[in-house]
Amino acid sequence: MDTVKPISSLGATLLVAKFELKKILFNTRGLIALAAFALVWFLILWYPVKQASIYLFSPDFKQFLAALFGESSVSELFSWPVAEMAIVWIAALYLFPLFSISVSADQFASDRARGTFRFLTLRASRDTLFFGRFVGYMLIQAILLLFTLGATLILVAFRDASLLLPAISSSLFIFINIMIVLLPFTATMAILSLYANSAMRATIYAVLLWAGFSIVSAILNYYLPGLDSVMQWVLPGAQLSMMINTSGLGSLAFAPIPLIQAAVLLLVGRTYMARIAL
Amino acid sequence: MSLITCESVGKSYGSKRALNNVSFTIEAGAPIALVGPNGAGKTTLFSLLCGYISPTDGQVKIFGERPNSTALLGQIAALPQDARLDPNLTVLAQLVLFAQLQGFNNKQAKAESLRVLALVGLADVAAQKPLSLSHGMSKRVSIAQALIGQPKLVLLDEPTAGLDPANAKAIRELVTAQSVHTTFVISSHNLDELEKLCDKVLYLDQGELNQSVSIKDAQADDYLTVSMHDCDNEQFNSLINALPEVLSVKNSQHNEFVIQYTKHAGYQFELKLFELFATHQWQYHTLQRGRTLEDKLFS
Repeated sequence: MDTVKPISSLGATLLVAKFELKKILFNTRGLIALAAFALVWFLILWYPVKQASIYLFSPDFKQFLAALFGESSVSELFSWPVAEMAIVWIAALYLFPLFSISVSADQFASDRARGTFRFLTLRASRDTLFFGRFVGYMLIQAILLLFTLGATLILVAFRDASLLLPAISSSLFIFINIMIVLLPFTATMAILSLYANSAMRATIYAVLLWAGFSIVSAILNYYLPGLDSVMQWVLPGAQLSMMINTSGLGSLAFAPIPLIQAAVLLLVGRTYMARIAL
Repeated sequence: MSLITCESVGKSYGSKRALNNVSFTIEAGAPIALVGPNGAGKTTLFSLLCGYISPTDGQVKIFGERPNSTALLGQIAALPQDARLDPNLTVLAQLVLFAQLQGFNNKQAKAESLRVLALVGLADVAAQKPLSLSHGMSKRVSIAQALIGQPKLVLLDEPTAGLDPANAKAIRELVTAQSVHTTFVISSHNLDELEKLCDKVLYLDQGELNQSVSIKDAQADDYLTVSMHDCDNEQFNSLINALPEVLSVKNSQHNEFVIQYTKHAGYQFELKLFELFATHQWQYHTLQRGRTLEDKLFS
């Protein structure tokens, strides 16, 4: 026993994060979720992304998109150096937050309902558990995003190897932007899964939250038009539609919104975790 | 510094008062029993000590720190009621995590996990998932996790409930053996078990600390508890009462008598009792110095 040294808070947080990663990647439930994710992305990569080089730069398709969304809404999409990356960007921008809601719905719910936290809180502080789990789930999503981008790069390389370098550069920006976008989604799910007693219930709460907020926001917009412009920045993902028409460094201009949202949500979640009965 | 100090601790769940003005101090040493009827507040008190919930009033201190304090991490362990391990991961994987969080490196953590599983006779289930274990085995695994790293304080909520007699005995022996370096606080309804394990007993009733008794207190010498196989209760009462040392005789339950007497040096009174048994051909079952815990708490 003499050789045992107390673990630092950071060390314990990383240990919890690593354990979560292992838990998802090496158990049946986690593997089923990953298989579903891989299948969806296989279909996206195989059809829209693989065909992107053909139709995205065809004048007819350009005209069609411009007519549908307005010239100024999608103009940036055509400036991507590699067409496949433009499609992956749009798909990732909307699908990853959805996947985040589903994959991170069980950050705390099952363990709390089962009482497993009672074994953990005597060995790790509640902060360590909260942030460790959050980091763990961000790591899982980072790995999934890296796999998606890696698969896209392989597709690009098969079409034209000379495009690989600009595609890698685009991938880097996509990775950073999507990870920032996912921060408030994962933080919201951390809070909801602390409150819910199952992953399913946490997901239902998430649907109610986003749908409910949209309805409230619409009502407020009707009676108090000024307030709506503020409200739209409160909920995670409010900036997504505006981010479609950005690329590279330009997308990072929206980063402060999810970063601030995540910081506030993590603070709320941490406080909730500190007070909650386990 | 006291191991546990509770000062006017109260806990309410909405309008229901689960604990009311509970104050006590526990020093490190022999196991301490926490008893009381169902709904008396035992689990609530355990949860407060473990920091799972916060008190509504008063304060709890363990080694001078509030529960949930980082200074207490790894110093306290518990067998919480109704807490289960993650069904998706092996027992070993989870115990290794617990040990690592307590500061063991990966190799040490595995060795420590196997050590505590061996203590409860379950080293062979390390690679299994919790769902494949019986209720009793799961409970023993939960007891094993509480022993990781030899914590200074271990709180066991109903440790032998649901265990077969052989394993319950093994757990009692384990608690006695580990008491050298760990102070146990044990909640149980099995008073015989607590009597064997503990000295100090805290009795909770309707959320209040009704009494705190010592099993081995000085008063124990003034009582004898005799359990008889078969005898005429009335005759037994009158004949024992007639002995000059006897102050009172109480028929505490079927064929069990609690005799209060004036103690003299040696075993003169006990010898007189045996002579009486021999004369009347009464068979005795047990003769115990002092009163049973049940008699102390409920008489």
